[in-house]
Amino acid sequence: MPLLDIKNLVTAFHTPAGRVPAVDGVSLAIERGKTLGLVGESGCGKSVTAMSILRLVASPGVIESGEILLAKDGGSVDLTKLPEPDLRKIRGGRIGMIFQEPMTSLNPVFTIGDQIVEAVRLHKPVSREQARTKALEMLALVRLADPELRLDEYPHQLSGGMRQRVMIAMALACDPDLVIADEPTTALDVTIQAQILELLADLRRRLGTAILLITHDLGVVAETCDDVAVMYAGRIVERASAAELFAHPRHPYTIGLLAARPGPGGRHDGPLKTIPGMVPPPQHFPTGCRFHPRCAFARLPHCAEEAPSLRTVAAGHEARCHYADELSESDDLGEQRGAPA
Amino acid sequence: MTQQPLLAVNNLQTHFLIRKGLLRRVVGHVQAVDGVSFAIGKRRTLGLVGESGCGKTTVGRSILRLVEPTGGDVVFDGASVPALGAAELRALRRRMQIVFQDPYGSLNPRMTVRSILEEGLVIHALGDARERLDRMRRALERTGMPAAALERYPHEFSGGQRQRIAIARALVLEPEFLVLDEPISALDVSIQAQVVNLLVELREELGLTYLFISHDLSVVEYVSDEVAVMYLGRIVERAAAADLYRAPLHPYTLALFSAVPSVEPARRRRRIILSGDVPSPSRPPRGCRFHPRCPLAETVCREVDPPATPLDGHVVHCHVAARELEATGGDVSVAAARLAEKMAAAGSSASGTITAGNG
Repeated sequence: MPLLDIKNLVTAFHTPAGRVPAVDGVSLAIERGKTLGLVGESGCGKSVTAMSILRLVASPGVIESGEILLAKDGGSVDLTKLPEPDLRKIRGGRIGMIFQEPMTSLNPVFTIGDQIVEAVRLHKPVSREQARTKALEMLALVRLADPELRLDEYPHQLSGGMRQRVMIAMALACDPDLVIADEPTTALDVTIQAQILELLADLRRRLGTAILLITHDLGVVAETCDDVAVMYAGRIVERASAAELFAHPRHPYTIGLLAARPGPGGRHDGPLKTIPGMVPPPQHFPTGCRFHPRCAFARLPHCAEEAPSLRTVAAGHEARCHYADELSESDDLGEQRGAPA
Repeated sequence: MTQQPLLAVNNLQTHFLIRKGLLRRVVGHVQAVDGVSFAIGKRRTLGLVGESGCGKTTVGRSILRLVEPTGGDVVFDGASVPALGAAELRALRRRMQIVFQDPYGSLNPRMTVRSILEEGLVIHALGDARERLDRMRRALERTGMPAAALERYPHEFSGGQRQRIAIARALVLEPEFLVLDEPISALDVSIQAQVVNLLVELREELGLTYLFISHDLSVVEYVSDEVAVMYLGRIVERAAAADLYRAPLHPYTLALFSAVPSVEPARRRRRIILSGDVPSPSRPPRGCRFHPRCPLAETVCREVDPPATPLDGHVVHCHVAARELEATGGDVSVAAARLAEKMAAAGSSASGTITAGNG
C-alpha cells in the first residue's frame, strides 16, 4: 500500500463568476521513501493539489470529492474527512512542508531556533531544552554553518539559500514520512539550487522520507525524482517513472514542453519548437481533451468532443491521449524533440 | 570584430551609496558594477549571464542611464552616453530601448495599450496622429498582436501577450539597440519559446542589436553570438557563445554550467557544488572575487585581482586558468578540459563537507 494515495480529487473555487475546478479528478500515489515530481505550468492545479493534501486550500476553495489516504497502522486515514484537531497533528508532523519563498513562510519576528522549537513541541512531548537540542541537530543535518549561532538569528539575517535550509530543517524536525516541497528552489540561483537539491536527495537517502516535489522545471524533476506526473488544466495527463517519461514521452503536451527548450549546441537548428496558444485559465477549460486547441497531433472533431481517459500506454506508463499509441515511436516525434544528438 | 561596434562599454562602474542614520551619512558603497568592459557589433547579440546580485541588470540600466554610472564610459555609435546633456540623451534613447522582466509590473494597468505605445512617440514628437497609429499597428503586428489590442488594458492579456506588448512598446520607436532584461523569466515554459522565437525573428528582420540579460543559460546560448559571465560586479569570462559553452575556462563558469539541471542525461555535466553564498557586493573579497567559493583557489587568488587573459576573443580573468593556458601553449580546448578535471576532483573530495554560509 502506498504511503499517500490520492483518489479522484476535485478541488474547486466558488467565485462570484461561478465554479472554477482547479483540480479536476487527480489521482496520485506516493510510495514510502520515493520522490514523486508533479510538474506543470502556472494554473495547472499542481499547487492546489498539494495544498489539498493538508486541507490548506484557502476559501473560496473547497475539496468537493475524492479521497486522500495516508497509510496508518496497517490501514489508512482519509485526510479529507479527518477532524481538524487530528489533521493539525499531521501537518508538520507526519507530513512536512517546504514552500517556494522561505522569507514569507518563516516568521520574521521570531528567531530560527524559536520557530523550530515550537514546531517540535507541537508534535512531540519534549521539554524546551530537548527541543532546542533537536533544532540544533536539524540545522547541522541541513549543513547550515555555525548552527549554534544561527539558532538565535532572525530570518532576515540569513541568505535565501540559508533560509531554505532552515525551512527544510523545520520540515524534517518531526521525522515526517512525507515532505511536500512546492517549488523549493524556484526563488534560488542555480548554484544554490544545486546545493539544496543535493541536500534533499541526501536527506532522503539517509532518512527514507518520501518527497512530493512540485515544480515547473523539468530538469529538476529529471535529476531528482523517481516518478513523474505531468499536470495540464487541472488533470494529470501523463505519468511514468522519470527515466521512462523523459526517454519516451507519450502525451503531446509533455512532448511539446521537452521540445520547447533549446537543445545543446544552440542556435543552428532553426526556430525553437513552440506550443501554440496559451495555458487556459480554469474558468475556460476546453471541451474534450483539454489540450486539443494547442495540440499538434489533435484530430478533430474527435479530440474536441471526447475527453480521453488516463490509460496505460506501456508498462508503468500512463497517458491521457486518444492517440498516444501512434505517437510512440513515430519519426514526427523525433523531429518534435528537436534535439540533434 | 572588424567593424566599429555599435555599443562599447569601457570600464563601467556603477556604485550605490549606503546611507544610514538621521543625517543619512554615507557608510559604504555597493559596487554593483565594478569595471565592466565589452563591445557589441551591429546586428549582434551579447548574452550577459550571472546569478542574482551579480550586477547584470545594473549594467543594462547604466547603459541607458536609467541609473547613473559612477565611472567608465559607454559609447553608442560614436557618442559617449555619460557625457550627454538631457536633450541629447532623450534623442539617443529613441535608438536604445529596454524590455523588462516582469510584464505585469512594467505596463501601467491604468493605461490602454494605445496610450502605453503612444507615450514614447509623443515624447519624441514622432509623426502626426495618423502616422503614430500606423506605427503602433505595425509594432503590434510585428509582435504577433492584433491591432484591436490598442483599445484594451494590460490586465486583459496573458503574461506572454503582455511581454509582446512590452516588446511592441520598445519597437514603436524603431530603435537600433535593445536591452532585454530577463525578457522570458516570468513566462511559462511553453510561452518562453514563442517569445524567444519572436525576438530572434525581429533581430533578423529589423537588423537589431541586443544585450540579452538572463540567468537561463540554454536560452542565452541559443540567442547570443557572444556571452559574458558576471560575478559580483565583474565580467569573469567572455567568449563567442559556441566557444564558451564548449570550453569554459573560469571555475565559476564551469560550476554555473554544471549546476543547471537537464532532462537529457547526455547533457548533464558532472555537478560541481560550490560552497557558500555569493558575498555581498558592499564588501567584495580581496584578490579574485570568486576565491572564497573557488575549489581551485591558491594564495595568489586571495591577494591579486586576476587580470584579463585574452586568447582569440576568449577572455578569462583567473590566475589558474591563465597558468593552464600558458602550460598548454594557448590551447583553449586542452586547458578547459584540464580545468574541468581539476574542478571535478576538487569538488568530489569536498562533497562530503559542503557548508553553507561564511561565503
